[in-house]
Amino acid sequence: MTEPNDANAPTEAAPPPVDPRLLEILVCPLTKGPLRYDRARGELVSEQAGLAYPIRDGIPIMLADEARRLDEPPHG
Amino acid sequence: MDGSLGPFDRATHRLRRDRAAASVHEAEPILAETAARLLDRLDDTTRHFERALDLGGRHGLVARALRERGIPFVVSADLSPAMVRRAAAHGPALAADEEALPFAPASFDLVVSNLSLHWVNDLPGALVQIRRVLKPDGLFLASLWGLGTLAPLREALLAAEEEMTGGVSPRVSPFPDLRDCAGLLQRAGFALPVADADTLTLAYASPFGLFADLRRLGETNAVAARSRRPLPRAVLAAACARLCPGDELRLPFVVATLTGWAPHESQPKPLAPGSAQARLASALGVTEQRAGEAPLAPPPPLR
Repeated sequence: MTEPNDANAPTEAAPPPVDPRLLEILVCPLTKGPLRYDRARGELVSEQAGLAYPIRDGIPIMLADEARRLDEPPHG
Repeated sequence: MDGSLGPFDRATHRLRRDRAAASVHEAEPILAETAARLLDRLDDTTRHFERALDLGGRHGLVARALRERGIPFVVSADLSPAMVRRAAAHGPALAADEEALPFAPASFDLVVSNLSLHWVNDLPGALVQIRRVLKPDGLFLASLWGLGTLAPLREALLAAEEEMTGGVSPRVSPFPDLRDCAGLLQRAGFALPVADADTLTLAYASPFGLFADLRRLGETNAVAARSRRPLPRAVLAAACARLCPGDELRLPFVVATLTGWAPHESQPKPLAPGSAQARLASALGVTEQRAGEAPLAPPPPLR
């Protein structure tokens, strides 16, 4: 039932890519508009909402609270 | 801080889930029991599913079960990035808010949500969004705590707090009524909506076992109107004494199960009003009478 190995998630060497099947169906949670995958920055950009959603260890964080506003410089 | 509308403080609930991520597997028997009951419903249908979403799936228990059932593409989503980090070890995962789903229309043919939607402020809005991410004839299956869950705890806390401090504050979530759930499914545009409830009785040696499980599930108090001051220890002790006078605490959990299908023309549905091809009166062999009007002649004698 328990999974002792789970707690320490895979350690990263290169940032793992996002599953392409997931990228295909993701939209901006606020506008439901399209997203641009900025591979270099590891962000999913919604031009309509003016937000960039971070991707952490291959996991898209599709929460407006966690997104970077496009009119602010990236800090990470 | 929490300018959110509705009964729940979602930012706090997210923190509760983040904090629970490391120990959620210790409360897995509860999640596994409700998940098993929920997924049993899949055996009732002959449909074969290809693309599934585990919504509010914490560390991905339901997603794993769906993969074991042979569904090739299963996505884990949870409000807590820390929870989905664990789910991501087994397959595609993302952090997402049930109130603002980040999926294109018709992305899935199955959406399952195990014990999560009772924390949503805008349940009607969430259900509409779930229906939209389903393909036509896609299935939505959800379990959530219903009215009656933790009722003895709520009563014990209210009574103890009132008695000792002269005031009360909400410490247990409001849970939805089953009838409301069925109505919401229908209003959200689901076909063949069904809501039913089942009671799961959990036994604990003391109330502290219950509190530990609630913490591990990320289910501790995130009611927006809650008191920000910690519960005085003496009040907690009095509430525990009321709740559990003997040496075992048995608590009912009401598990509401919601089922609905994204509409499709193949599904049975009522005919549109006025579309009948024959009169009911002729089928019954009687004289038709207009509604709301007094009969023109006395009714025929019974034979």
